[in-house]
Amino acid sequence: MSGPPGARGRRTGLLLVLPALVPVVAVVGAALTSALLAALGLAPLVGEPRLTGAAFTAPADQLASAVPLSLAIAAAATAAAAAVGLALALAAVATARRSRLLGALSAATVPVPHLVGAAAMGLLLADAGFLPRLLGVAPEDWPALVGGRWWVAVVAEYAWKESAFVALVVGGVLASRSRSYGETAAVLGAGRWARFRTVTLPLAAPALGAASAISFVYVLGSYEVAALLGRAAPEPLPVLAVRLSTSIDLAARPQGAAVAVVTAGLALLAVVLALRALRRLAAWG
Amino acid sequence: MGLIGRRAAARPGRAVLATRLGRAVLAAWLVLPLVPLLLWAVADRWSAPAVLPQELGTDGLRDALAAGGPAALARSTALGAAVAVLATPLGALAARALVVHRVPRPGAVLAVLLSPLVLPPFAVALGLDVLLLRLRVPATAGVVLLLTVAALPYTTIVLRAALAAQDRGFEEEARTLGATPWQVLRGVQVPLLAPALAGAAFLAFLVGWSDYVVTLLVGGGRLVTLPLLIGSAASATGNEAQVAVLSLTAVLPPLALLALVGVPGRRARGGRR
Repeated sequence: MSGPPGARGRRTGLLLVLPALVPVVAVVGAALTSALLAALGLAPLVGEPRLTGAAFTAPADQLASAVPLSLAIAAAATAAAAAVGLALALAAVATARRSRLLGALSAATVPVPHLVGAAAMGLLLADAGFLPRLLGVAPEDWPALVGGRWWVAVVAEYAWKESAFVALVVGGVLASRSRSYGETAAVLGAGRWARFRTVTLPLAAPALGAASAISFVYVLGSYEVAALLGRAAPEPLPVLAVRLSTSIDLAARPQGAAVAVVTAGLALLAVVLALRALRRLAAWG
Repeated sequence: MGLIGRRAAARPGRAVLATRLGRAVLAAWLVLPLVPLLLWAVADRWSAPAVLPQELGTDGLRDALAAGGPAALARSTALGAAVAVLATPLGALAARALVVHRVPRPGAVLAVLLSPLVLPPFAVALGLDVLLLRLRVPATAGVVLLLTVAALPYTTIVLRAALAAQDRGFEEEARTLGATPWQVLRGVQVPLLAPALAGAAFLAFLVGWSDYVVTLLVGGGRLVTLPLLIGSAASATGNEAQVAVLSLTAVLPPLALLALVGVPGRRARGGRR
C-alpha cells in the first residue's frame, strides 16, 4: 500500500515531507524577509520604519570592492579545487594501479572543519610557518601569503578542503561508471589521452560541474577562513556583513543586512547560472 | 623525497614514474597542511627557523585544558548529535515522500529542501538573530534549529539517492506475508537503509560539529563550542601549541566516526565499491 498514485498517496507524501519542509520554509523565509526588511529600513531597532535604499548606498564603496573580491576568491579556489579534485578522483579510481591511499586521504580531509583548516594553513604558510622553514626561507624573505594582497592562504584553504570534496563526488560517479567504458575504449585501441578526453572527462563533467558549483557558492558565503587568514581591508562580503551587523553603531546594522542580501542574491544567481550550464551539459553529453 | 627516490630505484617506465610523482604531489597536497598541527601539538618550544620543534612537551595540552577544551568538546559533541538526531529522520521522511509517494510539485519541494545549500549561513544567522531574540527562543535552541535546517539538504540528498536505488520488492513481500506497517519499518525498511542512514547522520553531525559562524552570531557567546574556542585562540598570537591541540581535538572524533561509518557517498549506494 505504499505509494499508490492517487489522492491518498499524495496526502501521505505531503504528511511525510512536511516535518522537513516546515522548518526549512520558516527559517529561510523568516531570515530572508527580516534581512530584506532591515536592509530597506522597515525594521529599525530604534525609530520609525521608513522605506529607504540608504543601507545599500551607504556602504557602496565597500560593496564595490567586496563583490569582485568575494567572486575572485570563490572562482580561484573553485578552479584549483576542481583541477586537483579531478586528479585525485582519477588516481583513486584508475583502472591500473588504483591509489587507495589518495582515496582514503581525500575522504579523511572532508570532515576537517574549515576553521581547523584555516588554523592549519596559518601555521603552514605564515612567514614563520612550517613551509618557509621547510624550504629554508627566512621570514623576512617570505611573501605575505597570510593577510597579504593576494589572499593566498584563504584561497589555499578553500582549494584544499574543496578539492577533497570534489574528489569524493567525482570519484563516486567515476567508480560506478567509467571502468567498463574505459576498458572498451582501450580494447578498441584508444590511447591514454584519447580515453581521458572522450570517455572519462565527459563522464565526470556533470559531477565535476555540480561539485564545483556547490564549492563556489560555499566559498562565496563562508565567513571564518577569510576572517582568520585575510587582511583588514578590503573585506570580502561575509566579513563585511558580519562586521557591520555586529557593530556597536546601530546605524550600521541595516547596512550589514544589505550586504547579506547582496551575498544571498549573488549565491542564488550563481546557482541559477550553474544549473543552466549543467542542463546544457547533460543535453549535450 | 626519500619515498620517491626509493621507488625510482625500481626502474619503472617514464609514464609510470610521472604518475608516481604526480601522486606523491597529490598526497603532499592533502597531508602537508596537517603536519604543522601535529608538530605544534607536542611542541613546547619551536622558534624559527628550526624545521622541527626544539623542545617537546605538553604545554599545548595544558593550555587547551585550561582554556576549557573538555567542556567545549562536550558542547560540540552534543550540538553535532542534536543536529544528526533531528535532521536524519526528517530527511528520511522527506526522501521517502519524494521517492515512494507522489508529492505535489516534487521539483519545487526538492528545490525548497535544498535551498539552505545556496544561502550563506551567515546571512541566515544575521537575518534571524534579532527575530529569535524577540521571540525569546533560547540561544542554544536557535543554533540547533538553524543548523538542522542547514543539514537537511545533505540528509535528504543521501537518503533520496539510497531509496531510489533500493528494491521495493522486499517491503511488498513482507506486507503480502502479513507484516504490520511497524514490522515492515523495523524489519525491512530501516535495515535496508541503515548504511545510508549512518552516512546521512554522519554528514548532519559534521554540520553541527564544524559550525563556527552560526554558533558565533546566534549563540550569543553563551554556547562556546570547540570551533569558537579555536577561533579565539587562533586570532591571538603566541599560542600555536594550544591551537594545534584544540584543532586536533576537532579533527580526530569525526575521523574516528568516518572509520566506523565508511565513506558516506559510497555506503549510501548500498555498500558497493
